Amino acid sequence: MLTKLKRTALAIGLTGLLASLAFPASAQDGGWDSVVAAGKKEGKVVVYSMALGAPYYLAVLKSFEAKYGIKVESLDLRASELAERVRTEQAAGRFLGDTEIITTTMIEEQRKTGDYIQAVGTIPNVKNLRAPFKATEVSVPAYVQPMGILINTRIVKPEDEPKSWEDLNDPRWKGKILSDDMRPLGSGNTMFAILQKKLGAAFNEKLAEQKPVFSRDMRNDARRVARGEYPIYVPQIFAFASDLKGLPVKVVIPKEGAPYAMMEFAMLKNAAHPNAARLLINHFLEAESQLLYANGWMLPVVEGVADRANDDAKAFANAKLMGPALLEERPAMMELAKKLYQ
Amino acid sequence: MTSTSLSSQQIERPASAPSSRLQGLRDGKLPRRLAVAALVLLLAFLSLYPLSMLLYGSLHTTPPGIPGTFDLSGYRQVLTWPTAVLFANTVGISLLKTVISLALAVLFGWIIARTNTPARGALEVLITLPFFVPPILTAMAWGMLGNPQVGVINLAWRWITGSDNALVNVYSYGGVVWHMLQYSTPFLFLFVVEAFRSMDPALEEASRMCGASQWRTFRRVTFALMLPAIVTAFLLSFIRGLESFESPLFFGTPAKIEVITTAIYNSIHHQSIANYQFATALSFSIMALMFLLVLWQWRLLRGKSFQTVTGKGYSPRLIDLGPWRWLTFGLCVAFFLISVVLPIGQLILGSFFQFFGFYQWDMLTLEHYRSVLGNSEVWRAFRNTFLLGLVGASSTMLLGAIVAYISTRTRWAGRQVLDVLAWLPWMMPGMVLAVGFLWGFAFLPSAISIYGTIWALLIAYVALGTPIAVRVMSAAYRQLSFDLEECSRVHGATWWQTLWRIMIALAWPSFAVGWVLTFFGIMRELSASVLLYSVGSEVLSVVLLRMWENGQAETVSVIGLMMMLLVFVFRWVQLRLIKRYISTL
Repeated sequence: MLTKLKRTALAIGLTGLLASLAFPASAQDGGWDSVVAAGKKEGKVVVYSMALGAPYYLAVLKSFEAKYGIKVESLDLRASELAERVRTEQAAGRFLGDTEIITTTMIEEQRKTGDYIQAVGTIPNVKNLRAPFKATEVSVPAYVQPMGILINTRIVKPEDEPKSWEDLNDPRWKGKILSDDMRPLGSGNTMFAILQKKLGAAFNEKLAEQKPVFSRDMRNDARRVARGEYPIYVPQIFAFASDLKGLPVKVVIPKEGAPYAMMEFAMLKNAAHPNAARLLINHFLEAESQLLYANGWMLPVVEGVADRANDDAKAFANAKLMGPALLEERPAMMELAKKLYQ
Repeated sequence: MTSTSLSSQQIERPASAPSSRLQGLRDGKLPRRLAVAALVLLLAFLSLYPLSMLLYGSLHTTPPGIPGTFDLSGYRQVLTWPTAVLFANTVGISLLKTVISLALAVLFGWIIARTNTPARGALEVLITLPFFVPPILTAMAWGMLGNPQVGVINLAWRWITGSDNALVNVYSYGGVVWHMLQYSTPFLFLFVVEAFRSMDPALEEASRMCGASQWRTFRRVTFALMLPAIVTAFLLSFIRGLESFESPLFFGTPAKIEVITTAIYNSIHHQSIANYQFATALSFSIMALMFLLVLWQWRLLRGKSFQTVTGKGYSPRLIDLGPWRWLTFGLCVAFFLISVVLPIGQLILGSFFQFFGFYQWDMLTLEHYRSVLGNSEVWRAFRNTFLLGLVGASSTMLLGAIVAYISTRTRWAGRQVLDVLAWLPWMMPGMVLAVGFLWGFAFLPSAISIYGTIWALLIAYVALGTPIAVRVMSAAYRQLSFDLEECSRVHGATWWQTLWRIMIALAWPSFAVGWVLTFFGIMRELSASVLLYSVGSEVLSVVLLRMWENGQAETVSVIGLMMMLLVFVFRWVQLRLIKRYISTL
């Protein structure tokens, strides 16, 4: 898969290079030309990311480097570590990062608790965003990570497969659902909060009576289901199941829709390479970049990409979404989950 | 147990009160004071500075750099019933695993170092292997072996007995303790086996000649002389148990078992807004508990001598167990099979298949090995880690050896301060101390460029490794009789010559053990690494985390196995050197 991605990335890079030769600066907006020139002059962009070296992410960075000749330094951290590093660096006056890719709620939190981010400025490809995704003054959507239900196809007969979130409350699944812990902040609580809002309090109360078993290792949990420890796992991030091909598991997109985490770009305050950062953000919204994400079972944020995804990825790229989780609701949702799952 | 050895005060030959700085210089007091002051400053920077940032965090409503107010709300949150339950849970689990693993470590240490059990050399290396494997890998392996539904052990049990019930369930208190034992037994064994080796068997022989039984001799002589090493090992292991994170996270969460570290983890990593005030206040509360334990250790060892290495030559003769040696051999092999072969076997087997646990012919592959060997990022991280490991472990052990020497072999003013400062990093949970380093390095004056460089990692590793280095070397020094130093000085050797030719020469097997522990501690360290690394200075643990988070468990296993291979080489070289050293003693 990695080799394939590398090839795709190289193709994107070469296409970009040829396009920039075929359509010189005069074909583009004058303002953006100056951004491109300034970005190339800056020669480098430092991005803080939660992708932790995901192959599709690396492929996009590679294609960006090939297209613009700008070096990308990506510092991969987990969400909380990323937030604390940004906060500490900004507070200490060490402006090492240029841009970050984090969840919408984290950006809201950063705005609420400090002065760490600045306006992104004009990004031409923002015009290609598909509904309901919108850029704001300080954030630009990058990609979407939806979640569904994972089942073991050897244990769950086709006629018994859950089709909706409500099906999880069927008595046959009592004690047989493995779940990401819903009490602390994370995917489990995101699912809990969105389902509470969309399906009502009764849904979560009944789910709690099903006695789901909590775990804290999403990557290994899907494999535990594949090995037959449990027939069902929730919430399964689609993308995390894309590399389990060959195992007896299947991701179900519930009919009500898929709760999701929105990942967005933000520009860090006093970024040393702001123009290169803008170029990178714009590059992420190129159809070819988004296609890499769509083929990794994520939901692209620009028009015309989802239907170009590989056959196995199309359903996920076109999944109906449910959400998002809101920052102001978080504490109450975590408290409620704690109460239900004492 | 006391000894007739000279006290270090006698060796020091206290000088008359200095009347002037010149006089002090002539007496060698001023350089000594300056040296101690420099060491105090260094250790304060390594331990007190990050801790002071954390103390600020525990007393302030916001982390450093954000406007807020000072209050005690963090500590008020600690003083609640749920936190008391957490404390009780944590102490109970840690105590249980420490007692069991200490008993096993003493037994294995005695078998390997003091008996004629067959294949001791090989067993010594094999018993220690689990310690060097990333816990996340053994957790996965034990999850596959011991889950109640389809765990290999339970499937075998059901097949053999026809029972419907599971024999073991790793997702329980027992599972948490068991997984912790995998690490603490080899860790304690490494400590204890060296102490057994450096013991003069003449003391035991004397006991036997006086009519004491083998058991009584072991209890009253062997064990008593091992007290510093055992108490130190117990403390280190118990404290590490309080700070253990992976075992309760993976095996405790499904069973609703929460301990202090998982509460800290939640408050830092899984809160709507990270609650550093509670996390740091909770950490300081544990630190207070640990400090009481350290005081207990000082009280226990104070005024006693445990010197077993004296000027009198000895040969470490082995106890002939007769046919019982096969029983001791069997015990070691059983431990090896259960704690090494079962989980590591899963990792080895799994590394040749596309997915762990799916052992089908069509899934056989060498792809995971190819992807590791051909991954430039892995090799860069390996080079960085190896460099940091070599420099870090050597610097840490050097610092530890000096601090331990001053605190155990001299009466210099300030030696106790050094000892306390060297303990501090061990008493703060790693994930919290890592935040202290992040804050500490970031808020240094901009002229001091540590933040964002490889130096930040190196300094953090030295700080984190110093407590072990000091403990290992202190235990070793305590076993060396003062008459050795005196003889050397009487024969005209300088202080430095005595230090080099006597103290270092006799304590270096322990130095080597400490070095290996520190080196592999650096190889495995994640909490500080992930907060302090920068682009280009990625270390292995950060790369492993990335791979794990990307669902590449099999590739992570390949790297884990490569690390184990490295352990084999290191331990083999180390044991050969020790053997050669002992044969020439």
